Amino acid sequence: MTKYLVNRILRGICSIIIVIGIVMMMIYGIMDRNLIFAKDSQYTKTNNNQKITYKYQTWENYGYLDYVTFSEYLQMLLAEGEIDEETMSKAVTLSRKAENDSDLTKEYVQKFNEYYKSQGYTVKRLDAVMASPRKVASGGNQALFAYRDVPLFTRLGAYLRNLVQVDSIHNVENIVGERGITFTLHDPAYGGEKFSPAIMGNGTTNRYLLYFDDQFPYFHQNIIKISLGTSYSVNLGVDVFDTMNQSQGSFKKSTITYPTGLVADSADNLHTATYVEGSRDSLLVLQDRYVDDYTNVSTSKSGFSKVGYSFVIGIMSILLAYFLGVPLGIVMARNKDKLVDKILTCYIVFIIAVPSLAYIFLFKAIGGELGLPTTFDMDAATKLVFVLPVVSLALRSIADLMKWMRRYMIDQMNSDYVKFARSGGLSENEIFTKHVLKNAIIPIVHGIPGSLLVALTGAIITERVYVVPGAGNLLTKAINTYDNGVIIGVTLFYAVISVLSVILGDILISMVDPRISFSSKDR
Amino acid sequence: MNTNLDEFNMSEEELFAKVDHNDLESERITAPRYSYWQSVFRVFFKKKINIIILSLLIFVIAFAYIYPMVTEFDQYGSLLDATAKHLTPSKAIDKYGFHLKYILGTGKSGESTFDAIWNGSRISISLAFMCALINMTVGVVVGSVWGFSKKVDIVMTEVYNIIANVPQLVFMSVMVMLFKASFWTMVLALTITGWLAIAYFIRTQVIIIRDREYNLASKCLGTSTIKIAMKNILPFMTSVIVTLLATEIPSYISYEVFLAYIGMGISERSLGRLIFEAESAMVTPGWQFEFWSPVVISAIITVVLYVVGQNLGDASDPRTHM
Repeated sequence: MTKYLVNRILRGICSIIIVIGIVMMMIYGIMDRNLIFAKDSQYTKTNNNQKITYKYQTWENYGYLDYVTFSEYLQMLLAEGEIDEETMSKAVTLSRKAENDSDLTKEYVQKFNEYYKSQGYTVKRLDAVMASPRKVASGGNQALFAYRDVPLFTRLGAYLRNLVQVDSIHNVENIVGERGITFTLHDPAYGGEKFSPAIMGNGTTNRYLLYFDDQFPYFHQNIIKISLGTSYSVNLGVDVFDTMNQSQGSFKKSTITYPTGLVADSADNLHTATYVEGSRDSLLVLQDRYVDDYTNVSTSKSGFSKVGYSFVIGIMSILLAYFLGVPLGIVMARNKDKLVDKILTCYIVFIIAVPSLAYIFLFKAIGGELGLPTTFDMDAATKLVFVLPVVSLALRSIADLMKWMRRYMIDQMNSDYVKFARSGGLSENEIFTKHVLKNAIIPIVHGIPGSLLVALTGAIITERVYVVPGAGNLLTKAINTYDNGVIIGVTLFYAVISVLSVILGDILISMVDPRISFSSKDR
Repeated sequence: MNTNLDEFNMSEEELFAKVDHNDLESERITAPRYSYWQSVFRVFFKKKINIIILSLLIFVIAFAYIYPMVTEFDQYGSLLDATAKHLTPSKAIDKYGFHLKYILGTGKSGESTFDAIWNGSRISISLAFMCALINMTVGVVVGSVWGFSKKVDIVMTEVYNIIANVPQLVFMSVMVMLFKASFWTMVLALTITGWLAIAYFIRTQVIIIRDREYNLASKCLGTSTIKIAMKNILPFMTSVIVTLLATEIPSYISYEVFLAYIGMGISERSLGRLIFEAESAMVTPGWQFEFWSPVVISAIITVVLYVVGQNLGDASDPRTHM
């Protein structure tokens, strides 16, 4: 069993990597890159050389290529200590035409050319565009840069390497104080009185490595960080994983004690503090609060995260679906070809055939007539806002469960062991509950982990119709704004979920049904 | 029976004639004449409800194709007429007089909603049929080969495991993003991975039937694989394929509506795009017809297609022909 599972998981991982590769190839290889400028007002405003450099700069931001300007190259040389500041400031000035460059500039331009050409970059020199013999046209300044398309395998490798990041005490340079990890039983963020164990680090990226708080699941860690790729247009500079998991809504204030001992009523979440070099000195307000450069905190908000909302709504709709769908399917099977069966079959046909959009809107209209809130509000006092999204999401699962439950029950009822049980004198009730149900429920059980995990990804239409701030519309948002990082991150998330759900489903049925075994060779 | 032969008053020669033994004749098995497709339609039309739904289906499809052909539809025809926009049916009829065109009111550029939904239906139905044609053909052919050949099975199962891990939505939406959103892009997006699920389904069915005893016997007697596929397995698959088709065609219409709604639809004004464009009209008093008309018509088309397909699938199962 273990060997089989390990094999399954390894194959799952392989297929996830291949899928990521395919999606990367489609997005970065096949797509027309100029599409991203279609709605870009900045792009239409610029002209001449500026337009070209803006284009390459934006492509770099979207992750299509590596783009290096001449001045960035000189900055790099400066940081490496190869040239001093004076030479750099002299060399960085390009002339309007390449042949008019000073000797020093020519030398470094030559070096720039050689260095980047040897690495497979294309070097491009743009001469100034003149409006008149003396005046440079708007945006016509001269430019020198090098660019290179990132090869698929380099991209994929880099992506996978950055997927999991482990925090260590050597992560931060120029740390004040001694590097190390301290364990405390009384978390200073709560004033140092309350019992709350925490592990804190100095030299790590995060101040808090392990801590407790009042948020579900109450115990948190910052050691291992998953990064699915940085977002550009959806949520600038924030990782997809964080975008999905950040809490939303209005600020939630609580009394906290800052490291300096300052007690304040604030929404800052000190447990999320990360290191930003030189930040304490830059702002007076930070000097009041912090004793070192671990100042970058996020704020606590009252709502769930995107995944949180999707999951809560998903779980509730699944519970509803199983509690309604399975019994109704059984009722249909027991009353086959009677009125109940026919009415419920009409419902199934309606839900399966009609576009989901149509019946969700229908239920929204009906719900609105009944006085239920039709738009989701995170700060709403009443929990009634959850009713319509949950019901709308459950409609389809109820129909599916009814259909399959009925089918499996009827198939089982025609089998020989039922005829035998009947001839043996068992009552219909006994046959149903003790024999038929147990056999018919097995394929249904297989789908449970899948439906739970799919709840995480959210339901796109439902969330859009009821304006739920869930994870479901993240992909569509990313696609509409060409946010490649998010598309890949979300694809990975979906792929992991579907691989996991199939494997978990198989484990679950092998637990429920002793006849199913994955260890035998000829499965 | 003890019937007395004397009752007939005939001689023995008259009563009995000698029949020569014929090997060929003795091998013949007589049975009532059975034609598969005739039986399918006999069973299908036995239910009166099927006739009604089928005629409804034919009417809807014919109307969707003929009506836009015989009428002129110009979306921006009355764009400049501010009084022609967002009219309820009664106001539109007041304005233009009673005409079929205006029984559903007008839309945001003053165009007739009735015309718009039938033009949209034509595009959506064409899309669904085109996708179904491509997906089913490729799916059934690949699926049968996949089911028969062990070597193909190994390769294709791996391919399937990889592709099936990603929700179809990801592929479809990336496809729509990659190319300009035209009719054929949508066909490509819906078929690029769509055939795989059908092929996998067919493969499973083929494997189930392939190893039945009668096929084994047929193989032992030296029947060629092609003949087994055509004569022994295909008849079994017909009802499966028809049933599958019944769920596939409406699902493409639903998919198109879904993709259009999330903003990834085609540029032509299909049903999905009409719903997407009229979404805000749903909550605006007096404008609801613009929104509900395409929703209702798409629901009618899909339900009718689904029911006809399911019942035809039931009828094409030879076990119902008794």
